[in-house]
Amino acid sequence: MKVQDYAQNLPIRLGTIQVLAFVFLAVLGIRLYHLQINRGEDYRVRAENQRIRMIPIPAPRGAIFDRNGKLLVDSRSTYNVTLTHEAGERINPMDRVDEYAKGLSVEREFLVERINLLKTRPDYETLVLKENATLQDITWVETRTLEFPELRIELQPQRFYPHGLMLAHVLGYVGEISPAQLEKQEYGHLKPGDIIGKGGLEQFYDKFLRGTPGYRKVIVDSRGRVQSEIDYVPPQSGQDLYTTIDLDLQIAAEEQLAISASKRGAIIAMDPRDGGVLAMASAPSFDPNIFVQGSATKEGRKQIAAYWQDETRPLYNRAIQGRYHPGSTWKIPESVAALRQGVVTVQDSNLACGGGITIGNKFTRCMGNHGAPPLKYAITKSCDGYYYRLALKMGIDGLVQMVETFEYDKRTGIDLPNEKISRTPKYYREIVEKRSRGRWPDIETVFASIGQVTVDVTPIAMLRAVTSVGIGGKLMVPHFMKEFKSIGAIGKPGEPNYVPAKEAFEYEAPEIPVVSMTEEQNKLVLDGMYGVVHAGGTATRISMGGEFEIAGKTGTAQVTVLGKDVGELKDHAWFIGFAPAYAPEIAVVAIIENVGFGGTHAAPAVKGIFEAYVKKNRVAASETAVGVGDGDSPDTPEPSAPGATPNPGTNVQQPPEIDPDRPSANIATGNTNRRRDGDRPGENRRR
Amino acid sequence: MVAILEKRQFKDFDWLTALIAVAIVSFGVWQIYNAQPTDTYWSKQILGLFIALVAMVVVALSDYRRIVDAAPFFYALGIILLILVLIPGLGVKINGQRAWLAVPMIGRFQPSEFVKIPVVLMLAKYFGNRKPGPLRFREMIVGGLILALPLGLILLEPDAGQAITYFPLLAVVLFLSAVRIRYVILALVAAMIFIPTAYVIGVNTGAIKNYQRERIEAILDPENADPRGFGYHTHQSMITVGKGGLTGIKGNQDISQSVLKFLPEPHTDFIFAVTAENTGFLGCISLLLAYALLISRLVAGAREAPDRVGMLVIMSIAGGITFQIFINVGMVLGFLPVIGVPLPLMSAGLSAVLSTFIAIGFVISVKMRRFVN
Repeated sequence: MKVQDYAQNLPIRLGTIQVLAFVFLAVLGIRLYHLQINRGEDYRVRAENQRIRMIPIPAPRGAIFDRNGKLLVDSRSTYNVTLTHEAGERINPMDRVDEYAKGLSVEREFLVERINLLKTRPDYETLVLKENATLQDITWVETRTLEFPELRIELQPQRFYPHGLMLAHVLGYVGEISPAQLEKQEYGHLKPGDIIGKGGLEQFYDKFLRGTPGYRKVIVDSRGRVQSEIDYVPPQSGQDLYTTIDLDLQIAAEEQLAISASKRGAIIAMDPRDGGVLAMASAPSFDPNIFVQGSATKEGRKQIAAYWQDETRPLYNRAIQGRYHPGSTWKIPESVAALRQGVVTVQDSNLACGGGITIGNKFTRCMGNHGAPPLKYAITKSCDGYYYRLALKMGIDGLVQMVETFEYDKRTGIDLPNEKISRTPKYYREIVEKRSRGRWPDIETVFASIGQVTVDVTPIAMLRAVTSVGIGGKLMVPHFMKEFKSIGAIGKPGEPNYVPAKEAFEYEAPEIPVVSMTEEQNKLVLDGMYGVVHAGGTATRISMGGEFEIAGKTGTAQVTVLGKDVGELKDHAWFIGFAPAYAPEIAVVAIIENVGFGGTHAAPAVKGIFEAYVKKNRVAASETAVGVGDGDSPDTPEPSAPGATPNPGTNVQQPPEIDPDRPSANIATGNTNRRRDGDRPGENRRR
Repeated sequence: MVAILEKRQFKDFDWLTALIAVAIVSFGVWQIYNAQPTDTYWSKQILGLFIALVAMVVVALSDYRRIVDAAPFFYALGIILLILVLIPGLGVKINGQRAWLAVPMIGRFQPSEFVKIPVVLMLAKYFGNRKPGPLRFREMIVGGLILALPLGLILLEPDAGQAITYFPLLAVVLFLSAVRIRYVILALVAAMIFIPTAYVIGVNTGAIKNYQRERIEAILDPENADPRGFGYHTHQSMITVGKGGLTGIKGNQDISQSVLKFLPEPHTDFIFAVTAENTGFLGCISLLLAYALLISRLVAGAREAPDRVGMLVIMSIAGGITFQIFINVGMVLGFLPVIGVPLPLMSAGLSAVLSTFIAIGFVISVKMRRFVN
């Protein structure tokens, strides 16, 4: 040491500094050992988790076809502009909302609403900012990856309903899963933003239609930009659904509703041999495409809100959710029940009409005076007086038994969600008896006998019950599904991402309940229904001749008090029928709201469907016959266009004949405002 | 220059110290490349190394005593630079700190890096020529003032991280200038009381900015720190270090934390994390050993210094380097708060490499003249 040691112990102090420096370095070394050797694996996993992302590839939903392979629903490829998760951690998307709105031509308020959603779902992967991105949008995003790395373009198969308003209630629509649905077990494996079926077949068969999403496993940088792809698993499409719907009959049904006076109502056509629904129309209707595409635009959301607020309730499927008084159509299951219960017999079925009945001091009239008709004649002429007495003989217990026999107290089991259960005297009994000091008043039996007051049924339940008469008492379960097609596997068995193939499967009919009755009993009721169209009954106008005989029953359901039921609140018109009468191939129910008499308004609508059916299945067949040599085809002069012009004409020209009935009905039920007669047997006579 | 290199001078030139420094910088260049392969920082660093080597040789061959004699001039120059940098038109503001001067041709440089050298020279000049005997109070005050002037200007930038690195310069000089041990102990006790107190007062009065407080709290309570907010730097740095394991990822860019931009400032403040990720525990320990060797060489040089001035110059520089290594690596390893202090010889940046090599030039100059008088 050259420096004089006049400082205190300079070498020691130098040494101290050196040791201190080594201690510092040693501390660093120990810490390093802890991080890299002790916890290295933990940090390696953490690093991997933050750089590897699974980008889901949505699976195209299965398409839906009619029974002849005509397309009903399809998916189209569209592109979405999405906001990615990583970016949201580093930037506040709200700061850029103005630029997004301008660049993507989306309304600012919509984006603000979307981005606010993030607060409620912190674990989101991507958030759709714009659906159906245009080429300009895609270019705008792609050229701004540096400026807005948080935006991404994602392929999204979008549901497309080529027929628009037609079949909307049956098909339903699709949309993002709601938070409430995410809680449910059936959707347990889905995540926010996933698309599911909402309503109709889309919802009922969602599991099969949905498919299995694939994914891309990618490395991302800290801002979520994809750097490279490690793995790719393609999505497995949903299975294609072939339905029992016949698009031509559906078109006919929609047309019949469109030309009806009120343009409100429902028509269902079913194959009575297997329960397959051929057509189901409910009017007014809605465009499912608006729900799929429109939720992103102001106009679309306005339209959706308008649908919800519309007093005519276009979103609700009248065919399975509407409850109406059935009017005289109720007399068909009632007749069967009365025969089964032995109230009347095939040999002795006569009951007095009497032009009406007096209960207490109230006189409830029949539309005519039918003497003491047998059951068959009572059905054909829709004699109310007969049924007042029949129902009084059955009693409330007999009516309840009838409800149970025809399963009006259950859902029909149709493969659509949200089917409503009919309400009948069985349902109302407790309420009525409570109100009437513990007993069911006879007057309620009288009203119920002709399908009023305590009888509210769905068209589908009514069709099912009435049709059973044509097929030996079988209560068919109506259904749309015919077959799901198979779809191939993804990957090979044993691979980690293997998704097994989905097998094709056909509709499996459940056990069909049968309303047991003797052949004579069955024939008696059936003959009555045949008479409605072919033996001077209430719907003789719709006869299509001997080639395609129709059995059916009209019904006119009172909507409001008599004498005030002008305009909007006219009666609901019903007709339920099947043909050929003694070997039915097609059964149809039509209910037209607030138009008047069933025979005048609903029966022609049903005829329109039958004509479409004949044109398709019989004319084609007879033309083949012509080819064989039967030159004198009786079908040739049949009306050409099914369900087209002839019927509106008949409807429109009817009003004058309604008027004569009204005063008499008014007088007859003057002191009983609560009901009115079902049908107008007279109207055909006058014609 | 070569002409004046006599044979003895050539032999006495401290080749080993220079070599260690060059080796560390070269290792650093590789890590800068690993951090950002697509950028040009690594090639700029090579250029910086050559400039720094020239500066080192020039300083080494000069007589350090003459330079120390001119210390007041360099000191004044340094203060002027620190004032210039604060003038909005001249000083360049980056990340809210006006700490850089833009120079045509060269680019940006950071005066607060260079001013350490005049401060060291000034301290060495003052304390190297003091009369024997225990350190007097007045001398401590003067030492404090030498430090306080540039420190105050740096805090105006504001660059608290850089300011902290000035304290060991004075501390080492005082320690080696016969400060009484009781004062040392007193200072340590005072620090232990004063620092937490100052922190609490600073937080309450707002003198410590929110981001500084968050960074400190991220260290004190890492489990509750927000890994996406202020804890982000520390969190990502620890992940990057930890995943390196024993041998590192050896430059695999596909999974590099810095290439994927998870690790912030990978080529400057967090270069040690990049080293840890790429070379693992083995590489890091080798680097720490290299630093240890360098510091040993410096201390050995100080022991052989011909006078107190030379000894103080070397030790002050050695103390500064050691402290900076500790602060920087401590930050990377997640037990010290995040402050912007570069890792000597490793971090990209001309200013830091140049000033460190000039300092090493002084060390060599002092050692070369140990027999000359």
